Amino acid sequence: MDNIGVFLQIVFWGLYAGCIYILLATGLNLIFGVMKVVNFAHGEFLMLGAYITATIFLLSGINPYLIILLSMLALIGIGAFVERLCFRPILGTGKLNEIFLSIGLIYIIQNGAAIVWGDAYQSIKSPYDGITVPVGSLAVPFDYILIMVLTAVILCGLYLFLKKTTIGMQMQATSQNRKGAMLVGINVERIDVISFGLGCALAAAAGTLWVVSGQVFNPYMGSIPAVKAFAIIILGGLGSIPGAIIGGLLMGLAENGAAYLLGGIWKDAISFVILIVVLVVRPTGLFGEKEE
Amino acid sequence: MQYERDHLVKYGSIALLGVALVLPFLTDNMFIINLLVLMLISIIFASAWNLLAYSGQGSLGHAAFLGIGAYASTLIAAKSGISPLFSVFIGAAVAAFIGILIGLTCVRLKEWFLAMVTFGFAIIVQTLTVSVLAPLSGGWDGIASARLVSASVPGYQIIEYFLVLAITIASVAGIWYLMKSRIGLAFLAIRENELEARAAGIDPVRYRLLAFALSAYLAGVAGALQIHHIGYLTPESTALIIRSGRSRMSCSAALARSPARSLALLCSPSSGKGSRQPE
Repeated sequence: MDNIGVFLQIVFWGLYAGCIYILLATGLNLIFGVMKVVNFAHGEFLMLGAYITATIFLLSGINPYLIILLSMLALIGIGAFVERLCFRPILGTGKLNEIFLSIGLIYIIQNGAAIVWGDAYQSIKSPYDGITVPVGSLAVPFDYILIMVLTAVILCGLYLFLKKTTIGMQMQATSQNRKGAMLVGINVERIDVISFGLGCALAAAAGTLWVVSGQVFNPYMGSIPAVKAFAIIILGGLGSIPGAIIGGLLMGLAENGAAYLLGGIWKDAISFVILIVVLVVRPTGLFGEKEE
Repeated sequence: MQYERDHLVKYGSIALLGVALVLPFLTDNMFIINLLVLMLISIIFASAWNLLAYSGQGSLGHAAFLGIGAYASTLIAAKSGISPLFSVFIGAAVAAFIGILIGLTCVRLKEWFLAMVTFGFAIIVQTLTVSVLAPLSGGWDGIASARLVSASVPGYQIIEYFLVLAITIASVAGIWYLMKSRIGLAFLAIRENELEARAAGIDPVRYRLLAFALSAYLAGVAGALQIHHIGYLTPESTALIIRSGRSRMSCSAALARSPARSLALLCSPSSGKGSRQPE
């Protein structure tokens, strides 16, 4: 009985971590799919989202689960601004420019946030703090369940947006063939701005879900999740959104399982063990397209 | 133009070499000597990374080879009593062996996939060092490492400087000759177009593994030299290198594509020097 309780506990932690990874990795994947740019500063947008939510919550006391919308809207704006100002001029000038630019953005955003908010660890209390829902022998915090539901809602919304709206279809076309998209009259630069903003909004959602669960945050919180998100989209296959979802869940579960079974030190290493094993078998990732 | 540039590189290298030979006699400030030794070690490390990049493989986990070389050399020197002067090369051989194993898992991978696997590999090595291998490696606390030249020898820092300088010149010259040879041409061919290289009778897998082994060996030499120079080894010194190493590697990668390749090899570590200071 106790064993099942522990197992369920690990599964719930894993699902919760997986949700944050999925949102972050999906955003990163969206940007890569359309612009073919890897944004190393993606974790910093998660951090901005987290701080915006926390600041609005502390100032107004509105339910933080509602602030997620404001935070995402703010990050759409910031993302579009960053894309227009930084990424568009260097698009297509070589991978190294993109890498250096996004590494530079990491420092600018981190230090900017440290100036505005200070670099101490902070945390906020969700209004549902302490409320639990019994699942089997386990009392799951209501926040965790809400986070999973919200993630599912956001992903469904994204799916509908990509499949049903004109802009979504234009984004798909651009990611499949940029020149072809240009030829049929799609304004690919506008699509770039939109997908970058949307990717950042997903990161903001991840950041919001991070803070409402009561986890601590500081301006440097984003770097490790960003590397993990990158590992996840490699695992799932670059540009594949189902790959990012499966990969995110897999990593979240594996990390928490490993932390329990092997000790906390293995938390980071295990995701890369999985990554290497998967890539040895399938060099283009789980859902990647076959090359050659 | 090409001729003039070659001349520039040639005379520039000779001038730099002359400066490097004379410099220790112009100053008795040991801080500067130590800094110069660290710079030379960075040259070896950046050249090692560059060698792998020549074969079209960009690694984000090269710090792991640095760490493996450092730990292997330290342990071999401590357990068997061999002088660190020789254990450096044995330790680097261990790094090369592990480099081949990693290379084997990476032969089918490209670009981001390769970068992420090598990065993950560095994380895994660090985790193993502080958990499973802790009885050997001293865990997070680290272990003391024998000095390259015993501190009881008078002027040991100057001797160390010239030893490291000799190894640096040997590595850079070795790479230079390698790049001029058939092997170097094969690396370039694979980097430019693997399919055409295969059509020309080059076995990409063999050459990629060779590049991995050589690069890991040199990185191992750099790591072992550095740790025998500093005298103490902790996983954090490798972790730090992972981080600062990334920017330094990117520098050398950026410069590898610029025309003045040999000069770039000499310049790239000095641009990474800033990030090394906190050590």
